[in-house]
Amino acid sequence: MKLLNLLSWPYVRKHKLRTLLTLAGIVLGVAVFTGMHTANLTMQSAFQRTVDRIAGKAQLQVSAGETGFPEDVLERVQSLREVSAAAPVIEAALATPQGTLLVLGVDMTGDSSLREYNLEGDDEDVIDDPLIFLAQPDSMIVSKQFAARSGLGRGSKLALKTMGGQKTFIVRGVMKATGLATVFGGNLAIMDIYAAQAVFGRGRLFDRIDVGLSEGVSVREGAAKLQALLGPGFQVEQPQSRGAHFESMARGLTVSINLASLFALLIGVFIIYNSFSIAITQRRGEIGVLRALGASRGQVRGLFLLESVVLGVAGSLLGVAAGLALARGVVPGLAATLQDVFGHAVSASDITISPPLAAFSVFIGVMASLVGGYIPARSAASVDPVKALQKGRNQVLSEGENRWRRRAALICIALSAALIGFGDANAYFYPGYLSGIASLILLSPSMAMWLARALRPVLKTVWPVEGALAADSLIQAPRRTSATVTALMLSLALAVGFAGVSRGIYDSLIEWMRHTLNPDLYVSPSRSITAKTFRFPASMAGELRSLEGVEEVQPVRNARVMIGGEPVMAVSLDIGAIARRVRVKPVEGDRDEMVRLASEGQGVIISDNLSLMRGIHRGDILEIPSPRGLLKLPVLGSSVDYSDQQGSFLIDSKLFQRYWGDDTANLFRIHVKTGYSREKVRQRILKKWSGSHEIFVYTNEGIRDYILNLTGQWFGLTYIQLAVALIVAILGIVNTLTVSITDRRRELGVLQAVGGLRNQVRRTIWLEAVSIGVVGLVMGAGAGLVMIYFNLHMLHRDLGGLRLDFTVPYAFMAAMTPVVILCSFISALWPAESAVRASLVESLEYE
Amino acid sequence: MSKWIAFLLASCALGQDPRQIVEEVQRRNRSTSQRYEGTLTVTSAKSRVTQKRWRYERMGSFGDSKAALRFLEPPEVKGVALLVHNHRDRSSDQWMWTPELQRDRRIALQDRSTRFFGTDFSFEDLEERDAGQFDYKLLGEEKLDGQMCWKLESRPRQTKRSQYTHSYLWVRQDLYVYVMVEGYKDQELLRRIAYRDYENVKGLWTARLLEVLDTKRRSRTTMKLEKLEYGVPMKDEDFTLQALRRPL
Repeated sequence: MKLLNLLSWPYVRKHKLRTLLTLAGIVLGVAVFTGMHTANLTMQSAFQRTVDRIAGKAQLQVSAGETGFPEDVLERVQSLREVSAAAPVIEAALATPQGTLLVLGVDMTGDSSLREYNLEGDDEDVIDDPLIFLAQPDSMIVSKQFAARSGLGRGSKLALKTMGGQKTFIVRGVMKATGLATVFGGNLAIMDIYAAQAVFGRGRLFDRIDVGLSEGVSVREGAAKLQALLGPGFQVEQPQSRGAHFESMARGLTVSINLASLFALLIGVFIIYNSFSIAITQRRGEIGVLRALGASRGQVRGLFLLESVVLGVAGSLLGVAAGLALARGVVPGLAATLQDVFGHAVSASDITISPPLAAFSVFIGVMASLVGGYIPARSAASVDPVKALQKGRNQVLSEGENRWRRRAALICIALSAALIGFGDANAYFYPGYLSGIASLILLSPSMAMWLARALRPVLKTVWPVEGALAADSLIQAPRRTSATVTALMLSLALAVGFAGVSRGIYDSLIEWMRHTLNPDLYVSPSRSITAKTFRFPASMAGELRSLEGVEEVQPVRNARVMIGGEPVMAVSLDIGAIARRVRVKPVEGDRDEMVRLASEGQGVIISDNLSLMRGIHRGDILEIPSPRGLLKLPVLGSSVDYSDQQGSFLIDSKLFQRYWGDDTANLFRIHVKTGYSREKVRQRILKKWSGSHEIFVYTNEGIRDYILNLTGQWFGLTYIQLAVALIVAILGIVNTLTVSITDRRRELGVLQAVGGLRNQVRRTIWLEAVSIGVVGLVMGAGAGLVMIYFNLHMLHRDLGGLRLDFTVPYAFMAAMTPVVILCSFISALWPAESAVRASLVESLEYE
Repeated sequence: MSKWIAFLLASCALGQDPRQIVEEVQRRNRSTSQRYEGTLTVTSAKSRVTQKRWRYERMGSFGDSKAALRFLEPPEVKGVALLVHNHRDRSSDQWMWTPELQRDRRIALQDRSTRFFGTDFSFEDLEERDAGQFDYKLLGEEKLDGQMCWKLESRPRQTKRSQYTHSYLWVRQDLYVYVMVEGYKDQELLRRIAYRDYENVKGLWTARLLEVLDTKRRSRTTMKLEKLEYGVPMKDEDFTLQALRRPL
């Protein structure tokens, strides 16, 4: 501690900027980790909180995936002796100027046995007149918060978009801002469930039944009895299980957050490593004196490790604070993305701060700092007091050191190849992945050196003096350069890796859309095609068919069902009719046979990603829970289908209607007659239903753009992390250049003393920075290609079951080149100015 | 004289058996059908008053009857109807019809404890209580509203789901009619129903005014029976869900 005070503290005070830059490396790494995980956690806990508060006293919930189920199920549930209360529920999310409003359709004649509606005022009446509330379908109860935001009170009118177009509701009650009313950030409204069925086009279906159990009946016993009564077509679960389903849906997001966080931290490690290596180089005289005075190697090593711990703690604490701020910024976008991609409305008015996550973030920040500081600390301990005053020696990486790294890298490459080649299990793949990344890191000093040497003649040809000096600086001080280059390489590899994957996904999506999304128009009841709030009645298909210019109408009903405990998208359509228009080459199975049998209801066609993720193949029996019982259907084959990240299956609409009792539609695919204007037909549809229905008519291009935008929105979250990773790497360049200038103060002084112009000095530093950028770019591009390979495998096996082609993101790489070079150049501006403004006398006296 | 003595002896004998008292109440109130128009006045704890009118029709008698209740006023609830099928051995089946929605809904057994459409009655209070569904205990005799009454305790049998753990019934000794019923949950009084203004209509003593007090909410509902008739011809098909859908 004394040494820390005597030696480290004065150094920190003298090199405030560098300390700050080092700190920034940790701060940003930890901030990305904390921020993205907090945002993810916030979404999950907001969803769970909503579920819990809505569930009220319900101990169990009965559902049939997202499909809903016929009303008669309620009577069956209520008839069970073990059930003390069973209340049907419909949930819907409506867009309002005050944000998304969660509308809960409940049966007020008995719902209060499960939920408490604390109404405004002392009157215990839930509503002015419960009979009027039930008798009038325009009745609504709103939360106090929503009422305040919208300027509503009892008796106020509230205009909302419904299946039947814009409708005016009457506020017949205002709930106190506690308990249930706090759900969804207070944007909650309650209406009668039977009115909700009509308003949201749900037919005679309920979304779920909340169940309270009789006294003395355990949850396990109640669930078993209900499951036995209802059969395997229903899920009987505790409310908290819905959070797990949501989590499983957003798994892809969690994995990408973990990956980007890991890289951000890894990049941070290199920044710390770089800073400490530089500090040790600069303080080797000090270390030599310390050693000469009798300090042991262990004491010196301990001092530097302690420094890294102190820095790690400070940086991690700041990182956690910055991460929480980042989470606050990210959460609204994340909520919108989850709503758009999965059709699940989640409202998180504030972030969820998890003390264990914060503690873990500090822990990994400190560990990253320790890991980054370990090698420099070890090399500080090995400083020979005699050689301590010899300058420049420690900057050189010995050939032996490099050789050892190259050998280790080769071993890692071999190990990686062996592991990946050995088996397909995660136990082989992920260690293989890590070995591959380790080999890149180990090879980076050598590669940086080779590339710097290769750059030297080019630089020298263009700028004989400055170019040669800049290149020499990199070549002669590899320890200073290599960590920065590695950090840059890693951040660029991450970016290229993601870009490659996103390019692959875009290309595959475009190809899939080209084959399958070929109708001229799409009619949707919501702006978002993934939203499940509204559904069209079956009768609308006939009305659409009767419109002039409409050749064919194909209704589509999709909803997630639970297969093997995980949600899978059921896509119900007239398979025969679709197959006449869509010609997709199957991945497994014979197309004609698949179509024939599926349209006869003798099987299902599964998506390729479902096949890959669950290991389901042609000939297997898919057990699909439905309200009418377990539907066991053979898998007729598989084809590429991007309907859902968790996988999907096509089922003929006749079979779906029979088993789910649901003939509503989420979407109509419309083919326009030849010779008719698509736009005119579109206008005709809009005109016919405007005023009576909420309706959105997309053109073919419109729907494709919508899907691509949705994909872009998904990747947008990743880009934030990439940007932070890049900022960390750029900080590394600034750090390196600052040190480089300090190290070469004398050299630069001499250059000026012998007549070198200030511009030449500036240019030397600029060139050095740009060279680091170029070297990092080349290495990052190479490493990025390796990343694409691994990412594609990860997507294929664990995330979306996507079978994507290896695509080099040339456009992205081309766009990144000037960005990185420009960033490198900008990062050199201040160090260059500081170098030319340094006193010549002081510079010549330096060292 | 002997006739008088015989009646007194019979009364004493009945008075000893609480079940027989209740059965006699039901026997004396038996009619093939009943129809009335009721005016419901709900006065909240804050003295806010709301009023509704309904028409009530019942066919059959205790434990085996069917009843239909249709709201006449205010205009927002006109046509809303409740159908009740009472059973001797189990709780009644109840359905509600809402004309604006053109939908019927079943009122679940669990929901019978909830208030009957904003009044102080619960759905359960509208059920006819067959004597066989309860155990009775004679607690003594009390004078209420100037009339000698038997005070009975009734407890629902296991098969019966009720919001009340027990109730106290006051039965007028001269007319065999209820004067007051108190429903308890454990030691807590939930609801008190007072029967007033008894009038003999076609040989049946009928309370023309019912007053319900919800002790928790401190609100009060009075129901006034008007246009009361007994023995009106009615058909089974008038007590179906289809019949409820007919406009008033």
